[in-house]
Order: sequence, then C-alpha cells, then structure tokens
Amino acid sequence: MGCAHAVFWRYIYKSGIRMEFKKKVLDNGLTIIGEVNEASLSAAVGFFCKTGSRDETPEISGVSHFLEHMMFKGTEKMTALEVNEAFDHLGAKFNAFTSEENTVYYAAVLPEYLQEVSSLWSQLMRPSLRDDDFNIEKNVIKEEIAMYKDLPQFDVMDQCRALHFKGHPCGNSVLGTNESIDALTADQMREYFGHRYAPNNMIVACCGNFDFDELCSLVDSACGKWTPDEAPREISTYAGSLEQTRQSKDSLVCEHICLLSGAVSMQDPRRYAGSLLSMIVGDQTGSRFFWALVDNALAEVAAMHYETMDGTGCIYSYFRCNPENAEKVLQIARNIFAELEKDGINEQELQKSKNKVLSAITIKSEQPMGRLTNLGLNWVYSQKYKSVSDDVEAIKAVTVEDVNALIKDYPLSKFTNFTLGPKA
Amino acid sequence: MAPFNRGLYLFESIYDMTERFDKHVLKNGMTILGEHMGQVGSVAFTFQLPCGAAQFKKGCCGAGAIITDWIFRGAGDMDSRALIDALDGLGLHRNCTVSAGFLSMGAAMEASSLEKAISLYSDVILHPTLEAKQFELSKMLAANDIISLDDDPRSKVMMTLREQFYPKPLGSPAMGKLEDVQSMTVDQVTAIIKQRFNLSKSTFAIAGKYNFDTVVKQLESLFDSEQPEIDTTITTGETGDKYTHIQHKGAQVHIGLMTSTVTVQDPNYYNAMAAVSVLSGGMSSRLFTEVREKRGLCYAVGANYNGLKQAAGISCYAGTTPDKAQETIDVIIAEFDKLGKDITESEIARAKVGLKSSLIMQSESSSSRANGIAGDHYLLGRVRGIEEIKENLEKVSVETVSNFLKNNKFDGYTVVTIGPESVKV
Repeated sequence: MGCAHAVFWRYIYKSGIRMEFKKKVLDNGLTIIGEVNEASLSAAVGFFCKTGSRDETPEISGVSHFLEHMMFKGTEKMTALEVNEAFDHLGAKFNAFTSEENTVYYAAVLPEYLQEVSSLWSQLMRPSLRDDDFNIEKNVIKEEIAMYKDLPQFDVMDQCRALHFKGHPCGNSVLGTNESIDALTADQMREYFGHRYAPNNMIVACCGNFDFDELCSLVDSACGKWTPDEAPREISTYAGSLEQTRQSKDSLVCEHICLLSGAVSMQDPRRYAGSLLSMIVGDQTGSRFFWALVDNALAEVAAMHYETMDGTGCIYSYFRCNPENAEKVLQIARNIFAELEKDGINEQELQKSKNKVLSAITIKSEQPMGRLTNLGLNWVYSQKYKSVSDDVEAIKAVTVEDVNALIKDYPLSKFTNFTLGPKA
Repeated sequence: MAPFNRGLYLFESIYDMTERFDKHVLKNGMTILGEHMGQVGSVAFTFQLPCGAAQFKKGCCGAGAIITDWIFRGAGDMDSRALIDALDGLGLHRNCTVSAGFLSMGAAMEASSLEKAISLYSDVILHPTLEAKQFELSKMLAANDIISLDDDPRSKVMMTLREQFYPKPLGSPAMGKLEDVQSMTVDQVTAIIKQRFNLSKSTFAIAGKYNFDTVVKQLESLFDSEQPEIDTTITTGETGDKYTHIQHKGAQVHIGLMTSTVTVQDPNYYNAMAAVSVLSGGMSSRLFTEVREKRGLCYAVGANYNGLKQAAGISCYAGTTPDKAQETIDVIIAEFDKLGKDITESEIARAKVGLKSSLIMQSESSSSRANGIAGDHYLLGRVRGIEEIKENLEKVSVETVSNFLKNNKFDGYTVVTIGPESVKV
C-alpha cells in the first residue's frame, strides 16, 4: 500500500535535544504519526481508537471498556497467555485505558524492541473475541466495577458526571453497570468492534528513539488491508443539568463532594486558559481552594480538574472533608466562584500557575511514555501536530484578560453537585 | 534483526556517556550525591533527614505527618503564604514523605530554578517558623487523614499489613495513630524537629542537569554548621498478628498478604527480585494468570518487593467480591508455596528483561534517579550504577532463583483483610 499524503517533517530544538515530527496516512485512512528523539533511552507506541462510552447506546453500556479488556485475549493465531508472554518477553511496560471518548493501547520499550511491540499491537487490533474469553472476562469487569465502588473519590465523580450530562451521551458510564455487563453479548461486542475499530477511526502514534520509516512499513503491511467504515459520533453542546443530589452509604466516614461546571472543548484554543484557571483555583498547593479550605483544615482535599472533551468540556471540583464541615466547604467554594466572577484573577497568580504548568510539561515530556498520550490525543482531536514548544508558547501567551473572559463565558458557579457521605 | 542490534548499540553508548556520579561530604558529615543526565532539561533533588516513622518515641506515632505539613507553614522571614508562593512561583513539583528510616523532601523543576529552590528548602529545614497556631491546623489535617483512611480500604489494608508484618516499630504507619496525633503537643513535635533534622546524618541527592561545584558551594554555605551527635539506630521488637480482619461494609474484600525475604544488602537480592517478577512482574506472571486470567477472581492482583534496611518482605494485594475472597486467597497462597518448584527458562528470561527495562526507563526521570541514589546510599552506603545492577541481573538464572527459594522457604504469611467477610488462612 502506498501513502495518500506526503511525509513531512519538522525539527524542534528544546534543551539542545532534536525532535523530529513525521506523519504518514495509509490508503485506508490509518494515520501514523511519530516524534523522533534519538537521545531517548526508550520508545513508546500507541494505537488510539476514537471510541468510548459516549459512542454507546444504553443497550451496550460498558462495551468500549469491556472490549479494551478483550483486545488482550488474542487473535486467531495467539492465545491470551501467548499475548501476555510476548509483551513480557519484550520487557514492555504496556497497558490500555478507556475514557468517554477514546480507547488507547500503549507500550513503552527499549528502542531495540519497538518494532516487535508495534507488530504485536498491530496483530491484537484484529482480535478473535472468543466466547469463552468473553464469559470469563465478564467477572473481571464486574470486579473492576466493585473496586471503583470502594473508591468514593472516583465513584462521586462518575455519578456527578452522569447527573450533569443527564440524557446526553457524555454522561454515559465507562464501566457500565453489573446489569448492563450481564446483559451484553459477544455478538453485540463484535458488531460494535466492526464499526468503531475502522482504520479511519484510529491512529498510531510513536515517541522516542525509533525509526519512523521502519515503523510505517511494519504498520502498512500489518494494517494496510483493514477496511474503512463509518464511525460517527454525535456532537452536541449541553449546558448541564445543574441538579444537586446527596447519596449516603453505610461504609463511608467522610463527605465526598463533587461539583461539575461547563468548560471549553479540546478543539477550543481557550483550553490553555482553562487549564491555567483550574490550577489557579484548585491546585494542590497555593491555589484559592488551598488557602480557603486546606490551609485552615476545613477540608483535607480540595482540588479542581479540567477535562477537555470532543466539542465540550467540564471542570470538576472535588472536596473531601468531615461531614460537619460539608455545608461550610460548599459555601466557601461558592464564595470563591462568586469572587472570581466579580473580580477575576490577578497577574501574580496567573504567572505562578504558568510556572507550574510549564515545569510539568518539561518534566513529563522527558520520557517518551509521558509524551505519547499528549501527542496522540492532540492529533485525534485536531489533526494537528503540537510540539512541546507549541504547548509552551500557547501557555505563555495566555493573559489575565483571556482567563477572565473565560470565567464570564463559563461561570464556575453554575454547577451540578453530587455528594457521597455517611448516613446521618 | 538489524534494528535490534543498532538500537542496543545506541543505548549502550549513551549510557557510557551519562553514567557519572558525584559525591562530596561536608565537614559536618552531610553527604551530597549527584548523577548527571545528559538528555534532560530538568533537575530533581531530595533531602533525606534521619526523622523516620520508626524513630519516634512511643506516643508520637504520626509526628512525621504533622511535621511534613507544619514546616511548610512559614520559614525564614516568610509567613506561610509567602513561602508557598515562593515555592509555587518556581513551578516546583514537590514531595515530602516519611518512611521507616527517614523523612525525605524534595522537588523536580526546570534546571534554571535550582539555586532558588535549594535556598528555599534550606529555610524550611533550618529555620521553620513552627507557630503554635499553625501546629493545631497541621494536627487537625493529620488526624482527618487518618479518619478518612476508612474510605480507602485498599490503602488501609496495605498499611495495616506492613504494621503487622514488620518487627515493631519498623512498620509504624507514617500517617500515625489517631490517639497519638490528637494528643501530641507543640513542644513534643518541636523537640523532634530540633533533634531529628540533624545534618550530620543527612543526605542530599541530585539528578538531572546541574553543576556539581556550584551545588556543593551553595550547600556548604547554607548547611555546613556543626551538629550534635545523634543516635539513628532502631531497636526492633515483636511482629504483630498473623491474621487481622477489619469489618467494613464495602463492595469488596481487600486482601493483603506478606512474607519475609532478603534485604537489598543480601547477595541473593537479585534472585528475590526475579522471584517476585515470576510471581507478578507482568501480565504473563503467575498471579495475574492464575487469579485473573484463568479464574476471573479479581481485577486488581499483584505482588511487590517491599524493602527496608533491617527487614524485607514480598507483599501482595488482591481486591475481590465477598463470594470469591476465600478462593482468591487460597489460589494466591498456593502460588507462593509452589514458586520455587518449577520455574522455567522462559519465566526467568521475561523477569530479567522486565527488570532491566524498568531500570532503564526509570533512569530517564530525574526524580526517580534522585530518589534512587538517595535510597541506595541509605540502604547500602553507596550508589549502584545502572551497569552494576544490569550485571547482577544477568547472573540470575533458573538455578540461582530455584536454589534461593529452596534455601529461603517462605516462613508463613501475615494476612490482613478489610471487607464484609473474613477468610480462613
């Protein structure tokens, strides 16, 4: 198979290290991107499939995540044990994750094993999805659902998200429920796989010390015959339900409070201002939440997390505190949001949060595995290459006015609230 | 096979260039260690102070949790807010933790912030304000953290496990005991800081992009003061109960299991690491295959090497719904028991390549390396180079691991469960 688009390249000089970006698109639509850094001691490769719980209907709730588990169960030629042995034989640090919008399979290896591990992933992307494996893995999925039930900080965010996006696909649960997993059939999974894992709905991304042409030639011979398909996604804006619910549980001692406010999408250039805002308000230290809630011991945890999504976005605020403080904590959070909407942020806190974000980018990008997810997801959402320097420049360019305008457009005070806590 | 060989060659040559250690000892005994990493623009450092959880007197369990919060509430001429603003202003990624033998605090950053960061940390270590009002807040946060552990059964099971497994006081939880934390006073904790922030027994480790001469000069001017003698020996006592069950109305039974093995100083250390890797190194390992893949008993199951200076163990965690808890622990114990009997060449090959890959990938992170060299210095009195570790891993074989396990049979298991049901062990 030849390539539909010409290979192009770009050099980035950062800390004296040369990084080179390359891209190739196969005739069937499978895109291969690479960021080559010959100074790296390792390489990381990932298959990114643009599918997740928001692409599911209620009848197949949880199928994307269940399918991610099943992808490790082998092909017509390999059993699950042989797959695991093959990865371990390469010393690969490998795994996968499923979100509301993406399913990502990745591995980090020493440079000499990159071709072999990429070959392995290429084969696994066309799995056998055997009934026996499907039935055993159902138990594992249900154990994972149970595990998250015992992690209230995750449970509360999951339930808050469902409440916020009530009726909108973005509120779909990644894990599904015991009932939806019990009802799911292997045929339904095969049908879903057939459409969603089409080459035009996937990309291959690679970072670190590797040979791009050799990788392309391998992926082309392994995946070039895959057939393209339609894999649509419903994109619609949604303001959020803004409802409030508290659920009590016998097992809990603390109050776990989650607030969900609207925010800009992954495609929106204002996302850089959004990530700085979330750091100003809710970083672990030195943020507005920190000084108003953690420093004075009203809450042990008070954090803000900005999640960019396809066509939309949301900002989570999470607080863990003694149930006696719950009302006060919530009122203080409301006051912080009101102050921000009235007076905005100041230059000093913006500069501080920029320094934090910039050093985080530098440290994370030094390892190929730390860089891979950003590289891949940037392409999935925007079909554009963003180097570390591009991200650094975009962060540096954000002004106080940019952040304040964002606060006006997406007021944090308009939130959905889900709380988990002990029985009164 | 061409790319295979070329890749390997590149890797070796890069490492030959970058594996350089620096060492300097200040007049007061404080050790400074460094490792240059040619390929990075960041730097990370860690201060290791003889203020470990196993060194606190009776009634002070949890002093470390209070200290790590309190010392950042003002230092030098800065109040709490000025100090945090200064640290955050440099974009530092900070950590401050307490383990059995020491308290470590450090940060990772862009290399240009190094000098200012060291200067701020010198104020935190040498001149913390230690206000009584701030003490009460640190104490309250530490107490609330202990209470909230009930909402995190997975962490609680492993913390309780270490406490029961290690001879007292080695497994003392850094987080502390609620009654101790609530009754500690400003004077008690101030005295601990004055005594235990002793520079003569401290280590400063740095990795990444830095100039060693400049770092030494700065540390000399800030830290090279005379220090009183301090005893850092830990006298150990009895271990705890073999089985502990904590009732909890959660969705799963959280199982923790631990058994003794050799410490990092032991010549058999690399055989022990390989044995743990056969048991739980990757997805083809025995625990993952037998417990999750074949039987679907758990989502999370795994074992780790857990080493202190004085003792070490292999710890295992599994989380499962109550109806599967007994079968899960039975399968896990069976796998531990038969580990020494039938190890294959293929398993050892996978264990070795897995351990070597982890080693090299960790060496790409300045934080991992700073903590690694500080840890080596504490446990071994010297720093191991990547080449030394690789050579030792190369010597591991089916025969060495099998002999090690034959001569060092697991002498029983310490088990802790948290959940709606207990198990029989």
